[in-house]
Amino acid sequence: MQVTETTADGLKREFKVVIPASDVQEKMDHRLQELGKTIRMPGFRPGKVPLQLLKQRFGQSIMGEIIERTVTDSSTQVMTERNLRPAVQPKIEIVSFPEGADLEYSMALEVVPEITPMDFSTLELERLTVDIPDSEIDEALQRLAQRQRKSEPLATPRPAQNGDVVVIDFTGRIDGVEFPGGAATDHYLELGSGSLIPGFEEQLVGANAGDQVTVTVTFPEDYPNKELAGKEAAFDVTIKEIREPVAATIDDELAKSFGLEDLAAMRGSVREQIEKEYGGVSRGKLKRQLLDALAAEHDFEVPAGMVEAEFEGIWRQIESDREQGRLDEEDAAKSEDDLKADYRAIAERRVRLGLLLSEVGRLNNIQVSNDELTRAILAEARRYPGQERKVMEFYQKSPEALAQVRAPLYEDKVIDYILELAKVSDRKVEPATLLEESSEAPSGDEAKKAKPKAKAKAKTTAKRKKADDSDSAEDEAKPKAKAKAKVTKKAESE
Amino acid sequence: MSSGARPKSQPVKLSQGRMYDIIRAPVVTEKSTMGSEHNQVTFRVPLDATKPEIKAAVEGVFKVKVKAVNTLRQDGKVKRFRGRPGRRPDYKKAMVTLAEGNSIDVTTGV
Repeated sequence: MQVTETTADGLKREFKVVIPASDVQEKMDHRLQELGKTIRMPGFRPGKVPLQLLKQRFGQSIMGEIIERTVTDSSTQVMTERNLRPAVQPKIEIVSFPEGADLEYSMALEVVPEITPMDFSTLELERLTVDIPDSEIDEALQRLAQRQRKSEPLATPRPAQNGDVVVIDFTGRIDGVEFPGGAATDHYLELGSGSLIPGFEEQLVGANAGDQVTVTVTFPEDYPNKELAGKEAAFDVTIKEIREPVAATIDDELAKSFGLEDLAAMRGSVREQIEKEYGGVSRGKLKRQLLDALAAEHDFEVPAGMVEAEFEGIWRQIESDREQGRLDEEDAAKSEDDLKADYRAIAERRVRLGLLLSEVGRLNNIQVSNDELTRAILAEARRYPGQERKVMEFYQKSPEALAQVRAPLYEDKVIDYILELAKVSDRKVEPATLLEESSEAPSGDEAKKAKPKAKAKAKTTAKRKKADDSDSAEDEAKPKAKAKAKVTKKAESE
Repeated sequence: MSSGARPKSQPVKLSQGRMYDIIRAPVVTEKSTMGSEHNQVTFRVPLDATKPEIKAAVEGVFKVKVKAVNTLRQDGKVKRFRGRPGRRPDYKKAMVTLAEGNSIDVTTGV
């Protein structure tokens, strides 16, 4: 095997490989012999067919297979010999293979850049922590109580007022004819809740229990039911009972209705939940900070092929968004070229960070154990109640989906690893600032990198944020797409 | 027996068409490949082909020198088809030994 490097431009490498005909021939004979053991040919017992004959009969069809195998084998050999780690699948082109002559092919690939992770201990990050004020817990409890609100019949009869709950029977008519869906009995209606047609509830204010009221309303023009929209209807309403709302008190009773021991336990669990929420936000910000820092610190060349692939993925998403008219206004206002430039920058950043993280993971032998994987899958399965089994099966069957689960786990582990090394200082902030800063903080770091236009910059930042915090479950589609990209990256770099 | 009466040295004249008629097909089997080690090739020939004819035909078609020809008649097997006895046709095989330095690639066809 003869290998000559034709180009070495940045991360791009091109090789010309020549494999002597005898090598190919040898492989071919070997393969034919293997085949000859099982092949059936009239006039011969299996395994007794002479090689010469086999070659004549099957040579052509086997040749393709042999060449393919030789090429892949030799190309991997070239890569291992030269210690190259390809970023994407190498492009291989067979230059010439005349019968009986040497096989010659060219191989173009992009190598994973030499990454020297920075000294993480020099990283200075800030973790925002929040003391949860009691007032917040009270508020949360209040909200819970509100949801549990009950109403009780009036102790002393009085006309209905806003906020009351009236129990009514009603029959609706349009032009004297009843229409389907226009009648109900024992309907609990909270006045002022706006759950019925506008105007309906207002006309019941001031009525007494036992009253019969005729309510005349006009269905709004945009009413979902086309036949009723814009028509005037008269409702005969009988008010059976007026109930007044009773504010639920925050006490042990409330806690019990939630299945908890007493109020103290409830406070505890509410606090825990709030803490978890803030913890998630705080971690997200920390991670974001870290990624920003990493992106600023590392400026290695990124394989164009990978950027291209990542960009394609993003762009497809954008295109489909646009077709459905869901494109952000800001994006829509921009010209195609600007947009492309923006997203290309994003793609490059993602690839760079992805490479860096996987490199750090590789160097430090970080692995996702099967246990963790199973746990993640279980969590995923729980999201589809009733179909847990199916979900599990799905993951077991498709390694690709499994890899999708693995990618964020891996990323998280690497992040954790880096965070352990980095100097992380805690800073106490008000809850409000924590939530608020998340929309502003990153722009500082970003400014160094972001290329075109101030407006584009802000936009880009927001987008990147979304993409980087792949644990933010709010946006389903994007992190998933990202995870996939990660996976392919990883697969190729290993 | 009448062919045996013919003097050995007298060459047989064959038309081009008859030559191609005589060489019906190569026999490609384990046994026939064994013969190829001794510079022998095997053909199926018509039942009425004689050794001198075969020699002339092989020499004419493949442009080689033939040293000897051995022939055999193979009786067709008796087979039953739907319970009725039938018989596969008989055929004649000719093992042709080529003179040194000559060869025929039987699998490539004429």
